[in-house]
Amino acid sequence: MDEIAIKANNLGKKFAISHLKSADLRNAFDARLKKIFQPKAFSKEEFWALKDISFEIKKGEAVGIIGRNGAGKSTLLKILSRITEPSSGRFEINGRVSSLLEVGTGFHMELTGRENIYLNGTILGMKRAEIKNKFDEIVSFSGVEKFIDTPVKHYSSGMKVRLAFSVAAHLEPEILIIDEVLAVGDAEFQKKCLGKMSEVSKNEGRTVLFVSHNLGAVKSLCSRSILLQDGYVKRNESTSIVLAEYLNQFDLKSKVEFEKRADLPSYFESLMIFDHTKTPNKTLDVGKPYSFVIKLVVRENCNNVVLGIGIKNLENMPVRTVWDRQNQLVPGVYEFSFQEETVFYCTGQYKITLGLTINGTVVQYLEDILSIEVDQFADKDKYYRTDLGIIVNQMKVNLKKVG
Amino acid sequence: MYRLVIDANKRGLNLNLRELLQYRDLFLILAYRDLRVRYAQTFLGLLWAVIQPLATLVIFTLVFGRAIKVDTGDIPYPLFAVCGMAAWSYFAFVLGQSGNSVISSQEMIKKIYFPRLVIPLSKALVGFVDFLIALLFIVILLFFYNYSPSSNIVFFPFYVVACIVSALSVGIWLSALTIRFRDFQHIVPFLVQFGLYATPVGYPAEIVTSNLPQWAIFLYYLNPLAGIAEGFRWTILGGEMPSQYSYISLIIVLILFVSGLFYFRKVEKIMADIV
Repeated sequence: MDEIAIKANNLGKKFAISHLKSADLRNAFDARLKKIFQPKAFSKEEFWALKDISFEIKKGEAVGIIGRNGAGKSTLLKILSRITEPSSGRFEINGRVSSLLEVGTGFHMELTGRENIYLNGTILGMKRAEIKNKFDEIVSFSGVEKFIDTPVKHYSSGMKVRLAFSVAAHLEPEILIIDEVLAVGDAEFQKKCLGKMSEVSKNEGRTVLFVSHNLGAVKSLCSRSILLQDGYVKRNESTSIVLAEYLNQFDLKSKVEFEKRADLPSYFESLMIFDHTKTPNKTLDVGKPYSFVIKLVVRENCNNVVLGIGIKNLENMPVRTVWDRQNQLVPGVYEFSFQEETVFYCTGQYKITLGLTINGTVVQYLEDILSIEVDQFADKDKYYRTDLGIIVNQMKVNLKKVG
Repeated sequence: MYRLVIDANKRGLNLNLRELLQYRDLFLILAYRDLRVRYAQTFLGLLWAVIQPLATLVIFTLVFGRAIKVDTGDIPYPLFAVCGMAAWSYFAFVLGQSGNSVISSQEMIKKIYFPRLVIPLSKALVGFVDFLIALLFIVILLFFYNYSPSSNIVFFPFYVVACIVSALSVGIWLSALTIRFRDFQHIVPFLVQFGLYATPVGYPAEIVTSNLPQWAIFLYYLNPLAGIAEGFRWTILGGEMPSQYSYISLIIVLILFVSGLFYFRKVEKIMADIV
């Protein structure tokens, strides 16, 4: 039994939707009264953010938790880090835990870097003496030595993140629970932190539970992953299998229709993707023309309408964003056709996001509504490789013998 | 070997005071943060901690001592007032601060676990600094008026503890209530204002109680600080024993304290969900 670090049995978390409203005395009083006088009329809508979650994590294992937004990843993390209590089930943790749902929790802008290291370290569960011992190490890892006695409010945001992460990186728990904290900071520093984390899990034999959208990081850090879907454990296997399943969740459709929005002055009706033969197709051929056709319903006179299409790869890295110019539109249904002569993305899957802005205000933002696949069928000789990187565009190469 | 088991089916209401002890570093550093931030970027800095009570004392002396001429026997009025004020301002400070304390730490509460009770407790420590300054005032005035403290001073530690516990008990209740019902954000300032008059701070309790029927006296002492402020002054300045009714205050404090701890624990379980 000693081998097990985290064990969860049938964990569940229920939210009562009526309670999500900010409570005040009058609501509480009303509810009480209703309960007394019409016990049947009083029903709360329940929502299970998590249900029947069971898994085991062995000592020294690094496990990733992935899933789409709203799948329950954060809720699970919050339960395991004791921030909220489960509504059902039980879990046990063997070992000293640190949970990092955010870097720099409790940072106070008026305090100096030095004071914030102590404050943040204590909040994360370090003892004063422990922080004192590691103080120099933390400061040099962060690279803000010169400003350590300056109030943090004068720091650049990058410096703040570095300082905060340095404190977190020097925690020495037996079990580390981390949310998407790596999403902050510049690329170089992220790399440094990822390195520190894999060092923690691989060399020092600590248990790591890692939630992330950054599939690349999950892949490199975790041998096993748990896929959550709508609050359930969908898969719990080796990371490569789970990632494949996760990617399949974004099914490849060539057309999506959106719900009618009577509350908005204008809304998206549908999005279609056409390949080089002008047929609707989810799979595009590298190097060939293609187009996105968007239908937009305009219900009121709108000035300054801007459409945007965002394209991300499956590791959630934004590849590109394109916009239409600002249009003045009278009520009606419009068709926008975004065309391009060449598919110049590398082979793989890409996710599409649509955005609608009127007069500078975001009216609709439809994230990851559909995935397209880029593949290479024809022109096999035109490109040397189409699977390295994101963009296949070639550069002109001049060759001459110079010696 | 640390082992933690959380089971949704076993819902005991455990106060778990030992865990609280493990988090004493956090308690201290949160209090330090508040103290440090309080006078940050002020010109006078720490002097404010002296100026504020001094100003209040001067106003009290002018209004109650000079204008209304409250009868305090042979005790000089400023000395009389400063004793009540020491107890009251501590109480009022903790009341005002702890009500909002959990809400203003919500970012922390949503991101990390620690016994939430640490938050209102640290506010009580912050207030204690002001309390020490007030004590200094008392000592200075004792010397100034050449007034030797009464032999009741042996009970002084008891009333200091009573004062802390009373402030904590109301503070803990209010911090838990404020999370559930934001209405208390508006009620607390009113309570503090009202309490100043309902507590024998600037006047001796007899002035009020001598004209009241018994049930009203009883009500008066339901105010936890009524008996404590009176007793606090009695241990330093002597005079008549606090009336028997003042025990009501002490009992109220005890009830509020224990029930407050349990209520806080109960709210703590859902704190991160509703804050």
